[in-house]
Amino acid sequence: MIAIEYFIGLSAILFIIGAVGVLTRKSAIVVLMCIELMLNAANINFVAFSAYSGNMNGMVFALVSIAIAAAEVAVGLAIVLNLYKARDTIGLDEVNLLRW
Amino acid sequence: MMYWSELAWLIPIIPLISFVVVGFLGNKAFKRIENGGYFAILMAAVACFLSLMVAFEILTGGYPGGTFIQSMNWMTVPGFTFNMGIYIDTLTALMLIVVSFISTLVVIYSVGYMHEEGEKKRRYYAEISLFICAMLGLVLSSNFLQMFIFWEIVGLCSYLLIGFWNTKPSAASAAKKAFLVTRIGDIMFMLGLFIFFVWFQGNLDFSYIFNNVDAFLGGNDLLTLGTFFIFGGAIGKSAQFPLHDWLPDAMEGPTTVSALIHAATMVKAGVYLVARTYPVMVETPNTMLIIAIIGGITALMAATMALNNPNIKRVLAYSTISQLGYMFLALGTGGYLFFHTQETNAGFMSGMFHLMNHAFFKALLFLSAGAVIHAVHTEDMRLMGGLSKKLKITSLVMLIGCISIAGIPPLSGFWSKDEILAVVFETGAENPLFYVLYIMGILTAFMTAFYMFRLWYMTFAGEPRDHHVYDHAHESPKVMWVPLAILAALAFGSGFALFFGFSEAIQPTMFHPHAETWTQILEIVFTDVLTYLSIIAAVLGIFLAYLMYRKRSINPDVFVATPARRKIYGLLLARYGFTAAYDWIGLKVVYGVAKAVDWFDRKVIDGIVNGFAIVTIKVGNIVRRGQTGFVQSYAALVVAGVSIIVILLFLFGGVI
Repeated sequence: MIAIEYFIGLSAILFIIGAVGVLTRKSAIVVLMCIELMLNAANINFVAFSAYSGNMNGMVFALVSIAIAAAEVAVGLAIVLNLYKARDTIGLDEVNLLRW
Repeated sequence: MMYWSELAWLIPIIPLISFVVVGFLGNKAFKRIENGGYFAILMAAVACFLSLMVAFEILTGGYPGGTFIQSMNWMTVPGFTFNMGIYIDTLTALMLIVVSFISTLVVIYSVGYMHEEGEKKRRYYAEISLFICAMLGLVLSSNFLQMFIFWEIVGLCSYLLIGFWNTKPSAASAAKKAFLVTRIGDIMFMLGLFIFFVWFQGNLDFSYIFNNVDAFLGGNDLLTLGTFFIFGGAIGKSAQFPLHDWLPDAMEGPTTVSALIHAATMVKAGVYLVARTYPVMVETPNTMLIIAIIGGITALMAATMALNNPNIKRVLAYSTISQLGYMFLALGTGGYLFFHTQETNAGFMSGMFHLMNHAFFKALLFLSAGAVIHAVHTEDMRLMGGLSKKLKITSLVMLIGCISIAGIPPLSGFWSKDEILAVVFETGAENPLFYVLYIMGILTAFMTAFYMFRLWYMTFAGEPRDHHVYDHAHESPKVMWVPLAILAALAFGSGFALFFGFSEAIQPTMFHPHAETWTQILEIVFTDVLTYLSIIAAVLGIFLAYLMYRKRSINPDVFVATPARRKIYGLLLARYGFTAAYDWIGLKVVYGVAKAVDWFDRKVIDGIVNGFAIVTIKVGNIVRRGQTGFVQSYAALVVAGVSIIVILLFLFGGVI
């Protein structure tokens, strides 16, 4: 059995890659993908702890999380599409109308 | 057994009905009949009938115990109970007679006097009905708080009726002046009530206070202050020095209003208040002394101002102030003497007696003056003269009034004025100050006789000075001269009440009055040298007026012959500068304080509030720069925040 530290390490690396992507990338699509990365990092943690403790609740939670992520991507992509229609861009650094 | 007194609660209600009905329907339902005037007369007459019945019952001892008390719970606060009720003793009965009877006559007279006012009559009759209601309510009140409420309502009616011709700027400002100046007195009255409230443990009922006054004595400084403030209310309402200056200005109202409110009834409310509080007042001799002094000063000062005024109504107004001063002099002196000797004296009785007599002859004088004004359409006596040929009845009844107020026996004014002066002289044995007051009283009697006959001669005697005015003069209609005749009969004869047990009936029981037969009274009065002194003073005054204004052997211009005399003359016309002083206080002091307060409000209070707003806006302007609109900067903040929370949890939260 693989030690749990590896799973946590993988999850942490994925999460940090996702977070850095969210904070730094300009394209809205890439930011959405980075959010997926962070969600999946969390899913890996769920599954790993579930297997480690023998409690199946974590597995179920991972499935729920995946379903929610799918819904979130649908909404997010719809926003991006509309943004593109309205402004001809999906660069987040050009979308700052809602400010002071 | 049914008593009239049990119906006393109806007395103020009936004029109130008239106020509501005339006030709302006057111009619609009563268009043909004087816009409600006759309805007001009817209601006033019913109230008068009831009042006379109640007064008769109380004065003749028809009600067992002599004092009728009825009260119901109005408001209960933990610890205190306020009642509304009726308290009728002989003093109330006297006031009931005076108020209701003169009110009725004045309303009847108004039908003639206010004939040309058109639709405004509705307002007039409604307001005068409200006044009658409030004044009767005031005298019937069973406690100080209820009295204060009616006290304020009569003040309101006075304001409304002085300003009846409200399109005239002088009338409007006179109304305001009357309201504001009496308000100073009202505030003092209220302070007095607060002190009484504390002193008498939260119960302001007359019956409670009068029955228990002995239990509350000792260490009387606070009580002295309380009675002084109560008298302060009387100063304002009864136009005593130094708050007297509103009353001459109040003559801007219709003459009927001057007669009813500013001569016969409302200004007597102050005297009534002091008389009503007498059982408490006599325990505070210092207040009594102040009352006597203020009364004496007012009597003398107002009399001097009446000496040279050319306006017929103003002269009567000063005369009213002066006579009210006599009443306070009598009350103060009587109480002072009683405190020091604990013996019966005529102070209280003579004050009340003068109140009654004055109400009759002053109402008569005002209404006669009103008949003159109605006939000649001017108030300036310099334009009158010789009117006795045209206004026969008016000149005759006014002559009766003048003789009565001058104090010539056997007319009513003589009896009460003589009693007052006798008591003041008697009190001189206790305190020499009262000799000074006595001399002031005699001087006042002299001046009173002089200016009243000056008024009569200038108006009715001699040759007409202005033929245009003279030719248009006409005798008043019957509806005006009949009330005058009734009042003249009373001005002539009300003094004889002294011989029918007035004295014993009106004295408070603590004085232990003893009955005197009329021969005894006559003997006391006419064996006293002082009596002749006051008669001589009056006769001299009349004689001087005769020489100056009838026979013209002394030219009145002699009083303005030199600059010094002219200065005094002008000083009297300027009312000793009181008007200017009031204006100065109003414009400079009050306005100055108002400006300072305004500055404080604008700069300090508003400054603090506006300062908060400005600081908030400034800070907001800086902080809002944080809202960049970039999604990623928000996300960075979220990450940073969560990171800090996690780090803190690790460091201090004991998570590990």
